[in-house]
Amino acid sequence: MKFIGISFVSFSLTAVVLANAYYQKKQFYPSVVYITKSNPSMAVMYIQAFIGVWILGKLMRKVFFGQLRTTEFEHLMERSWYAITETCLAFTVFRDDFTPKFVALFTLLLFLKSFHWLAEDRVDFMERSPMIGWLFHIRVLSLLLLLGALDSHFIIHAFHSTITKGASVQLVFGFEYAVLITVVVNIGIKYALHSVDLHSETPWDNKAVFLLYTELVMGFIKVILYVAFVAIMVRIYTLPLFAFRPMYYTIRDFKKAFSDVILSRRAIHNMNTLYPDATPEELLATDNVCIICREEMATACKKLPCNHIFHTSCLRSWFQRQQTCPTCRLNILRAPTPPTNNNVQGAQPPNAPLPPNGPNQFFNMFAAPNQFFNNQVNPGVNVGAVPPPNAQAPGAEPAPAFGPGPAQPGAVPPPPPAAFAAPFGFPTHAFPIPFPMPFMAPPPMPPTNLAALSEEELRNLEGHERRHVEARIQCLRNIQTLLDAAVQMMQQYSVASSVSSVGREPPASGSAPPAGNGGSSSDSVPNNPSAAANENAGETPSADQPPEDSASGETASVLPEKSPKSNNSDLLSEASSTSAEEEIRRRRLQRFLLQEQEQQQN
Amino acid sequence: MAGSALRRLMAEYKQLTLNPPEGILAGPVDEENFFEWEALITGPEGTCFEGGVFPAKLTFPPDYPLSPPKMQFTCDMFHPNIYSDGRVCISILHAPGDDPMGYESSAERWSPVQSVEKILLSVVSMLAEPNDESGANVDAAKMWRESREEFNNITEKLVRKTLGIPC
Ligand SMILES: [Zn+2]
Ligand SMILES: [Zn+2]
Repeated sequence: MKFIGISFVSFSLTAVVLANAYYQKKQFYPSVVYITKSNPSMAVMYIQAFIGVWILGKLMRKVFFGQLRTTEFEHLMERSWYAITETCLAFTVFRDDFTPKFVALFTLLLFLKSFHWLAEDRVDFMERSPMIGWLFHIRVLSLLLLLGALDSHFIIHAFHSTITKGASVQLVFGFEYAVLITVVVNIGIKYALHSVDLHSETPWDNKAVFLLYTELVMGFIKVILYVAFVAIMVRIYTLPLFAFRPMYYTIRDFKKAFSDVILSRRAIHNMNTLYPDATPEELLATDNVCIICREEMATACKKLPCNHIFHTSCLRSWFQRQQTCPTCRLNILRAPTPPTNNNVQGAQPPNAPLPPNGPNQFFNMFAAPNQFFNNQVNPGVNVGAVPPPNAQAPGAEPAPAFGPGPAQPGAVPPPPPAAFAAPFGFPTHAFPIPFPMPFMAPPPMPPTNLAALSEEELRNLEGHERRHVEARIQCLRNIQTLLDAAVQMMQQYSVASSVSSVGREPPASGSAPPAGNGGSSSDSVPNNPSAAANENAGETPSADQPPEDSASGETASVLPEKSPKSNNSDLLSEASSTSAEEEIRRRRLQRFLLQEQEQQQN
Repeated sequence: MAGSALRRLMAEYKQLTLNPPEGILAGPVDEENFFEWEALITGPEGTCFEGGVFPAKLTFPPDYPLSPPKMQFTCDMFHPNIYSDGRVCISILHAPGDDPMGYESSAERWSPVQSVEKILLSVVSMLAEPNDESGANVDAAKMWRESREEFNNITEKLVRKTLGIPC
């Protein structure tokens, strides 16, 4: 409404000016001269021209875009604001040839730029809407053709002008339109990719890769254009401040596209080399839905070391962002190398309940240090001595933690107290029971008196070769894993004890000792995994099939990733119950139930 | 074939329409654009938000579900984990590695396993149990800790407002 009013006023003013001029001079040319000589008349004419451009813009928008979306409009406003500021900056550089023609050219440039932005947003929208009609295609195609033609016309014009008349402001226009034409090409490629994708029957997995490379190449061309422009401008005029912001963004986008391509290549490489394709049997054994896209998995699926299965393409795009399992957050870069793992798994039927996968992974981890110890070089001897709580628990069953020290091969885990096994209904053998670990001989102890050794012997003890260093790093990693696992065990123990005391008031058989009591006292250990798995069941769908070794592998692998600061400690601290805390606990339990129900619905 | 983000959002919408969780309504604002949703959340029972119906909008990134959506209440809210402009600050809405508050563990963060439904359920439980360590709304967090009475008064007004009842 306001706009209609303004244009009406402008039109009537123009009419008055024209009529007045014609009335005074009676002829065409004198009237024109009169108008150009009179400042007020010229002001009116400028305003009229501006309104005319505005109306043309509205018309073109109606023709090519229809109604603008809110986000498109906001985008347009934001970018126009920057563009106008930069144009004003550009005026300062070219203040000598500040003429109406010059202003008109800049206005035209801004005008065309805004249509490029809108076209960009509109083509991006193709991915967001399920309804793309023929009108959309006609509009986008004709707009792209029009913009492309205009851009090339202005580039050629600028080129000729620069060749024939020498460097002028046309340099800026030539360069601006060159950038705009790369934008048109970029939009065109995107549009083509989206259209092909829309019309294909099956999902097109490689589209993302094509888009990435388009982005990279176009970014590179733009960076070159900007650098060349700034170099030329610095030589001929001054530093083109107005080009710095777009140049900064171009370089940033290019850098991002570059790192995206690298990450993507790495992800593809990992995908092809590290992870095995999921077999049809494995797909059948799970619920067969890819958790990333929520669609069925039939072919082209990969299995991660944690036994979670995803579409190859989904996993690839996820790995570009994070190198973790989407389901259990296992850090796949820190995971044991799958080739060995596969051999182990290949040797057993995948669903065999025993031996669980967890210890196998640990076996793999310890393989290297064993060689290392055989070399008589063992700074990592502490691996064997990790579980001090164990030593402080005389009369306990041997080796509750992963420590190999006093482990008795084939030691039978103590039967879990019924109070724990019953509520969860999980067969205990499905969890990684750390006891039977006959694979590790106790490492040789280092000589206690280091002073007695000669210089040479000490140096041998240290070891400088690559394999020594590698073994040492491996050893440190193992220590970290063991510590993580121990912490996790303690937490789960405390959760188990607090959960049991919530469920049934006084804990049976005093199995809920105070927290922080070195959690890994032997009789608690076998219970913990069941509590952990019960928790995980709320989060991870595949843990719903308890007697599978996938569940156990997952439990083992999820351990180090969980943070010590989850609700576990909360549950503990509420042990002394007031009524308010009772209430919170009730709600929390409800929430757990809710999550579980929801999981079952999925 | 539509893009994967669009297909997943359509699947989630279908799922939410077929099995709506209690007290939650959500769907695209406009069926032409599946990346802008609006949601209605009823205040959980037995809390100071009980009885209220709170509208919110969800904005999905083009690479959903690899990146989390953003959620913003479109009504007035007073809650320790909601910014005064309505933006919701809970861990499930943050990708690991971006931790504005520095208190969240990566286990509760965004990953493609999460979904609109899980986000909304988390928001419901956030309404029930604010995390007063988060500084999204410091005043609300302080009031929640120190004078629950006053907090409840404010939220009661908000609840009335969402229902269109004059205070
Ligand atoms: Zn998938
Ligand atoms: Zn996993």
